[in-house]
Amino acid sequence: MNSTLPLKTWLVDNFITDITPDQLEDDLDLIDSGIVDSLRLLRLISWVSDTYEIPMDEVPLSPDNFRSVAAIRAFVVEAKDPAAA
Amino acid sequence: MPTNRVCASVSRRAQESPESTALWFGEERITYRQLHVRTTELSQEIDRLLPDRDRPVCVTVHKTPDAVALLLALFGAGRQVLLPSAGLGEQVVQELARRAGCSQILFLAPGDGSTAAARSVVPGRTPTAEPPGPENSLLFLTTSGSTGIPKIVPILRAAQDRFTDWAADAFDIAPGRTVLSYAPLNFDLSLLDVWTTLAVGGSVALVPADRSTDAGYLLDLIERTRVHLVQSVPMLFRLLTEASVSRGDRLPVRLEHAVITGDSTMADLLVRIRRGLPGARLYNLYGCTETNDSLLHRITDADVASAAAGMADAAVWKGLPLGRPLPGVRTVLVDEYGRDLEGPGTGELLVSTPFQTSGYLDPGLTADRFVPRAGAPAPFYRTGDVVTRAADGTLTLEGRNDFQVKVRGVRTNLQEVERVLARHPEVREAVVVAIPDTEAGVRLHALVERPRDSRLNSLDLRRHLSERLPRTSIPSSFTITDEPFPRTSTGKPDRKLIANLRHVKG
Repeated sequence: MNSTLPLKTWLVDNFITDITPDQLEDDLDLIDSGIVDSLRLLRLISWVSDTYEIPMDEVPLSPDNFRSVAAIRAFVVEAKDPAAA
Repeated sequence: MPTNRVCASVSRRAQESPESTALWFGEERITYRQLHVRTTELSQEIDRLLPDRDRPVCVTVHKTPDAVALLLALFGAGRQVLLPSAGLGEQVVQELARRAGCSQILFLAPGDGSTAAARSVVPGRTPTAEPPGPENSLLFLTTSGSTGIPKIVPILRAAQDRFTDWAADAFDIAPGRTVLSYAPLNFDLSLLDVWTTLAVGGSVALVPADRSTDAGYLLDLIERTRVHLVQSVPMLFRLLTEASVSRGDRLPVRLEHAVITGDSTMADLLVRIRRGLPGARLYNLYGCTETNDSLLHRITDADVASAAAGMADAAVWKGLPLGRPLPGVRTVLVDEYGRDLEGPGTGELLVSTPFQTSGYLDPGLTADRFVPRAGAPAPFYRTGDVVTRAADGTLTLEGRNDFQVKVRGVRTNLQEVERVLARHPEVREAVVVAIPDTEAGVRLHALVERPRDSRLNSLDLRRHLSERLPRTSIPSSFTITDEPFPRTSTGKPDRKLIANLRHVKG
C-alpha cells in the first residue's frame, strides 16, 4: 500500500461526499464518527479485499482493523507481508 | 430472600452434570462445573471489593465467560446490578450509577479480564426514588435512548421467572440445546439468550463483540456448537445470508428457530432467510425492555410470497405482522384522543405483560408511560408504536407516533439528534430524517443550514455528535447548505420533502 489516497478517495466518494480526500485525517475514528456502520463495514472490507488482493477468508478480521485510515493501512501492510510487520 | 433461579440452576447443573456445556466463547468450552467454580471465586472478590452490601452496584463489562460469572456471583449474593451499555461514556455511566443509588462501579480489569476491580461513584444529588428491593429485582437494565440519560428499568425477579417459563417452552430451550447470544449482555435480548438458557440448564454460545461482523466466524460458531435458536435484529440475518451467497443460498447450519426481533424486516431479507434456512421455523417477535416480549408471529409461506412480490413492487410489502399476544399478554389500541379502538382500526399500541417492570426508577417518567386501566390488575405500557389491527386480530406495525425510529435495532429520537446538532455554534438549523434503506432498514440523513461565511463540513458535525451521542444516532449522510429549508404552510421544515429530496439524490 504505497499511498492512502485511493482509500481516502473511495471513503470520501462513498460516505463523506462533502469533503475532499485530503481533509480526511489518518487517525479519524471512522466507526465512532458514524461514517462506517456495520453494513458499510462489509462494503469497506470487500473493497479493501478486492483492491489490495487480500483473501479475507484467510486473514483474522476485527472491526478494529478498519477503524481509521491508519488502521486499514497497517492491516493491509501486515496482510500482504506478515514478516514485514 | 428466595434463591435466584439462574444461580440455583448453575449450582445444580455443576453437581448433577458437571461436564455439560454452560458457555461457548470462541474455541473455548466452559462447563457448568467451571462456571460454578469461577462464580464462587468471583463471589469472594466481590465481598472484598464491595463492602457496602445494601447498595446496588453498577457493572460495566463486555460479554465474556468471566462477565457472566461475575453477574452470577452478584445475583447469588443478592446484590442488585445496574447494567448499562459498555459503550457509554464515563459521565453517563456515573450519572446512571448515581440515579440508581450505586456507590461503586465494578468492572473486569484490563489484561486477561479475569480480575474484578471497582471504582467509586462520584457523589452527586441523591437518587430520585427508592428502587425496588433485592427481594423483588436484582437487575436494572437501561433503555436505548438516543441522547441524554437512558431510563433505568428494573427487571422483576418474578417477571423474569415467568418469562423463562414461556421462552424455554416456546423455543425448546433445555439441557443439551444451544442458544446463540449475539446481543450485548446489557440488551434485553440477553434475558432470553443468556439468562433463560442458563436457568434451564442449556448452553449459550457467546459471540465476542469483536467478531460480531465476521459472517464466516458466526456461521462456523453456530454450526460447531450446534446452535438451535438464534434471536436477533434483522442485521445479523442479513450478514449471515449475504455471506452465504458464494456457497449457494442455503446456510451451512441446522437452526430450528430463527427469531427476528427489534426492527422491521425488509422484503428481500425475508426471502433470503427463508431460502437460507429452509428447515427452520421463522418468527417475528415484538417487545421492549419495559415489558419484555409481548407479541409473536410465526412466519408463514404466505408472508414469504408477499415479500417476494414486494421485491418487485415495494407497495405490496407491508412488513411482517407483529402477530398475536403471548399467553397472559393483554393489548389495547387507542386512537389519537385516547379512546379505545374495538375491532379493526389503527392506533397506538398499549400492552400489559406478565414479564413487565414495575416502572422506571424515576416515578415521574413512569407516570407518563405506564397507565392504569379500569379492571386491569397491572398498568399498561404505552409503546409509542402505531399499529393496525386486522379483522382477524392480527397486528401490523405502521410506525412511531413521535419522532422515534429504530436504527439497527436501537430506538432513536430524531428531534434529540436535531437538538444536539443545533448546539454546534455554526449550525443555524438542523433537520434529521429517516430514509428507508434496502440494506439497513433506515438510515439517518441530516440537512443542516450554516451561515453563508461558514466552512462547516460533515466531519466537524460528526466530531461534535460523536462526543455527545451513541453511534447509531449519528446520521449516515449530511447535506450542508447556506439556503433556508423548504417549509410547510405552517412554517415548519417540510420533513417529507427533505426526505424525498434526499431519496431522489440517493
